[in-house]
Amino acid sequence: MTTANTDVVDVREDSRKAGRYVYVTAIVLLCAWVIVPLYFLLINTLSSPEAVNAYPKSFFPEFDLGSLTFFANFAGILTALKNSILVAAMTMVMSIAIGAPAGYALSRFEFRGKELFRLLILLTRAFPLPLLALPLAVLFIRTGIDDTVFGLALVHTTLAIPFAVLITFSLFSGIPLELEEAAWTLGCTRFTAFTKVILPLVLPGITASAIFAFVISWNEVFAAAVLTIENRTLTAFLLQNLDTSPLHLKFAGGFILVVPALIFIFAVRKYLFAMWGIANR
Amino acid sequence: MFLRLKIAGAASAFALCVGASAAQADVLFWSTQAKPVEEAQAMREQVLNGAGEVDYQPNDAGPWLTRLNAELQAGSGTIGVLGALHGDFSAMDPEDLADLDDLGIGASSDTFNDLAKLGTGSSQYIPWMQASYIMAANKKALEYLPEGADINSLTYDQLIEWSANVMEATGEAKFGFPAGPKGLKHRFFQGYLYPSYTNGVVRTFASDSAVTAWEKMKELWAVTNPGSTNFSFLQEQLLNEDVWIAFDHTSRLASAFNERPDDFVAFPAPAGPEGRGFMPVIAGVAIPRTAPDMEASKALVAHMLKPETQIATLKATNFFPVIDVELPSDLPPSVQAAGAAIATMSSSPDANPGLLPAGLGDKGGDFNRVYVDTFERIVLAGQPIEQVLEDQKRALERIMEETGAPCWAPDAPSEGACPVE
Repeated sequence: MTTANTDVVDVREDSRKAGRYVYVTAIVLLCAWVIVPLYFLLINTLSSPEAVNAYPKSFFPEFDLGSLTFFANFAGILTALKNSILVAAMTMVMSIAIGAPAGYALSRFEFRGKELFRLLILLTRAFPLPLLALPLAVLFIRTGIDDTVFGLALVHTTLAIPFAVLITFSLFSGIPLELEEAAWTLGCTRFTAFTKVILPLVLPGITASAIFAFVISWNEVFAAAVLTIENRTLTAFLLQNLDTSPLHLKFAGGFILVVPALIFIFAVRKYLFAMWGIANR
Repeated sequence: MFLRLKIAGAASAFALCVGASAAQADVLFWSTQAKPVEEAQAMREQVLNGAGEVDYQPNDAGPWLTRLNAELQAGSGTIGVLGALHGDFSAMDPEDLADLDDLGIGASSDTFNDLAKLGTGSSQYIPWMQASYIMAANKKALEYLPEGADINSLTYDQLIEWSANVMEATGEAKFGFPAGPKGLKHRFFQGYLYPSYTNGVVRTFASDSAVTAWEKMKELWAVTNPGSTNFSFLQEQLLNEDVWIAFDHTSRLASAFNERPDDFVAFPAPAGPEGRGFMPVIAGVAIPRTAPDMEASKALVAHMLKPETQIATLKATNFFPVIDVELPSDLPPSVQAAGAAIATMSSSPDANPGLLPAGLGDKGGDFNRVYVDTFERIVLAGQPIEQVLEDQKRALERIMEETGAPCWAPDAPSEGACPVE
């Protein structure tokens, strides 16, 4: 009897242990999934061309700054970086400014054609940009917003809005209407109830959709390459030229493209974590 | 707090954006060539230095064409000068390009100048630079050359034997071929394999000698690094030694020679029963009809054809001059190696130079597709050669009939559309 009992306990403990192993392995794998490529990008960026082409690869960078120096002297790269940040920031602001009210309306009000509207919003992603770029460019040239940061941000906003609307829609739907009603009874107007009660609750979600908007804008090449000339974004400026460049410059260029995006995501990560209930403030 | 920050950010963004949109009077050089970052840098610093204010912007073919078409449709533009391959220009409507006859400049080759007329009576673009495809090998591979083979006059059979020897010795297939998504494999079939075996490209597409050519291609593929379907720039595989013997565009082999000049040799493409087929690559400069400042654009085009600019271009891009110039002795290793290989190739007694496909208009891509599909079906999928050639022949015939393009060398001239025999 007792042996049977300890057996059961053993089995339970074993399975708990096994579960832990699986859990830890999964976490390690997931981290490696993200970190290993970034780490290799870093080592190869800091390696001389010979080391980049050599095999097997070293696990430690040799701190050769040749590739990075090349880009530091590359004409126009700083302007392009500035443009990229501007376009991404404007895309973020505009897609939230347009997307969040739309998401709120979808979750709080009943109106005719609501389902159709939700579907239509996705349609902006249904057409590939190379198809849209030509008429857009013609229109932009005619209206005079061609080759401006604002014009490009408009296009990127269109791409980001579906995400902004759908994310904020599900966020607002997750907040009980009663909370708002309670605020109204305590003297809030519809607007102050929103800013005082709802907004703090959905801020993490809004951050998430802002990150989406940022990444969409940061990564977009085709429209940027067609719609801007003097005011190119970093991706349009570099990415097109990297695929035909030597390997060590590909790594360094990739690194330069990745780092600002990483810095941004780190800067807003505490808002993001709060979304999953782990407030990190 | 967060919201307020964002509003402030937006406001400053608008302010900066308004500031940045001030007009600039640079001539915009809109190019599909010299795209790699190092080449673009060299174009800006060396080649265009002294040409006035020029903004050099290299692009992928997609955005390049889309932007150009948008400006043409809108009727007003910012692009001053176009730089592209012959094939890019021939896909355009010649009406959209300014006639350049009044500049009175051109290449030293009349064939190139005729091509640049795009079937009209006057120059639509000015030949700018030229390149070709050659072979390159790691010196380690040389000891496995078949007995009696001269690297400067190899045949396809010797190349296959050589690659087989290397494979036997190292246990790995070390011949490399640009069959990747961005690789220029179609030019190998159109300008090298077909002319060498069939003395034609279109007429002889499905001939008996074409069957032999594809049989040889299969033999060659058997000793080719199977990773070749991912290779587009053989310089990378030469440098990391996945490949010891390679065929590619001169500018796509350049960094191998520049980084380790003592480790590699360049040599002519192999010969078949009908001679040593090879093909030039021509890039040109043109002016779209919407150029904002026609005079400045013409001045830039004229600048590109000056002897010293041509030499600077050679150093920057590994594309050779189209005019007669005295080459200096301090050229980079890649240029010296490729130049010697091309000279040997074109002056070899069995040389069989082909021309770029001409008169295909916007069907150029479809034309290339025929050859790539044929390769994929015969060599990669192992389908019967006669059957595939018979199928693809119909696609080729349709393209030739739709475009009415006459034959080009090495095919014999034709009246009207080039027939597929």
